[in-house]
Amino acid sequence: MSLFRSATGVLCLTRSINVAGGVQPRRHIKRWVSPTLRELAHRVQKQGPQKPEPRSGFIEWNYRSELFAFGKRLNEEFQLPLLQTAFMQSTYAHQEQERQRKLGIAEADLQRGDNSELIAKGAHIAKAYVEAYLRYALPKVPEIGHREITTYLLSNESLAHVSLHLGTKDLILSTEYPPSEETLAKTLQAIIGALADSNGVERAFLFVRDFICTQLNQKDLLEIWTPEQPMQLLSDVCKQRNLGEPEPRLLADCGKNTVLAAYNVGIYADRKLLGKGFGENVQQATETAAIDALQALFDMHDSRRPFDFRVQLEAQHVRLG
Amino acid sequence: MSNSHLFLKSGFPRAPLQNGLGRYVCQLQRLTLKFCKNNGSSKGMRDFIENHLVDFAKENPGIVVYVKPRRHRTPVLVGEYLNGEREWMSCRNNTQEEITKWIDLLKTQNGNSSSLRLRKMWHTDVPSIQGPWTPFLLRSPDAQNQSYPSEQASKPLDVPQSATEKLLELFKQQQLEGGQELLTKKRAE
Repeated sequence: MSLFRSATGVLCLTRSINVAGGVQPRRHIKRWVSPTLRELAHRVQKQGPQKPEPRSGFIEWNYRSELFAFGKRLNEEFQLPLLQTAFMQSTYAHQEQERQRKLGIAEADLQRGDNSELIAKGAHIAKAYVEAYLRYALPKVPEIGHREITTYLLSNESLAHVSLHLGTKDLILSTEYPPSEETLAKTLQAIIGALADSNGVERAFLFVRDFICTQLNQKDLLEIWTPEQPMQLLSDVCKQRNLGEPEPRLLADCGKNTVLAAYNVGIYADRKLLGKGFGENVQQATETAAIDALQALFDMHDSRRPFDFRVQLEAQHVRLG
Repeated sequence: MSNSHLFLKSGFPRAPLQNGLGRYVCQLQRLTLKFCKNNGSSKGMRDFIENHLVDFAKENPGIVVYVKPRRHRTPVLVGEYLNGEREWMSCRNNTQEEITKWIDLLKTQNGNSSSLRLRKMWHTDVPSIQGPWTPFLLRSPDAQNQSYPSEQASKPLDVPQSATEKLLELFKQQQLEGGQELLTKKRAE
């Protein structure tokens, strides 16, 4: 093959000299391409997977416009300095201060606040509003259920999900990229705080309702909160509401003393069926039935009316403390 | 589904972040227009930038628009969405009307819609409100007190009559009729 290539090369050379008499560009197989590409691929492989590039490092990036658009996108009028403070992580602020001190810039100019105050404020507002909303939307659920659902809605995971989908990832001023779940969640709380500072608490409440409470839509509430000892809770609830003593009864069973045994237990109180449940043994079936009865009593089963997210709760119902 | 769709990402139509509940958030967050200042293929893009871009930016303050001139390259639209997706679209030789329409498309979707194969045109998190069917559902009350194994319940529902049974039945009928005939004969005597 190489002999053939060199022969064609020599032939081309002689032809170009013979015909034109001058120097002509020769066209032949570029033998450097493949080794170069192979070497480049080898080096990339040797370096391992690379971290994603922050969007703010691109040429087409204007932080001020991004901040402005962030507020407009959410239909909110933020004060831009406050919003920027909300995005400023304390670690980043410290790093910047260190950098400026090393460069010898005067201390007085570097007083740029970080978002820790706004985080505290936003977290307080969000908690108060979510609690008030749950009290309105799920009035029959006991206190412990409200607490569990609030914890779920305000957990780092779900707040980070909201925050990410509002586009904070590229705007956060932080030492790490991509920002961690905790940073994303904290930033969302800081944004709520900044909104309360710039537009008043009412707007912040609506923000919490529209972006945090809506996460409950189409969720299985039982997955968020399952009562620990359902039978005991059920008897307590029945006593409170004067429904009579709950009593489990075997409705049906199938495949007794086999591996695939199934029991169907119903819970009655005052001759009324409260709930039904299945299980591999009677105890498990009773527990499932009790949970089913509690779901019906607390009005949190699958077929409940959808949550109303257009409600405007009055400020007096929100316990800001 | 054709062969070209085999390796396409598949999914369901979903609104990110329950968008539209509470308030609507436009999912396009950034739009970059790349074009050449003197190449003919960028004519439509240049016209769009001259005539419509400022109006577009005023109408959509939530979208950050970047304009990036570069020499002798094809005009390109790049949209970035809130869910982190990025869509690249070549606008070579497009007129300004076409570009307006493409931008309108970018504005109203939440990712590259042609890069997703829809498995179904709808999606629900609660497939059945009534719950799944179980053998205990709507059972007849007779089955409640049945003790198993029971002879009655073990028989097939459609057993055809055997020849012996048919003969027996015929014989019984004959005997009944025969008996009556005998009685009438004796009475007549």
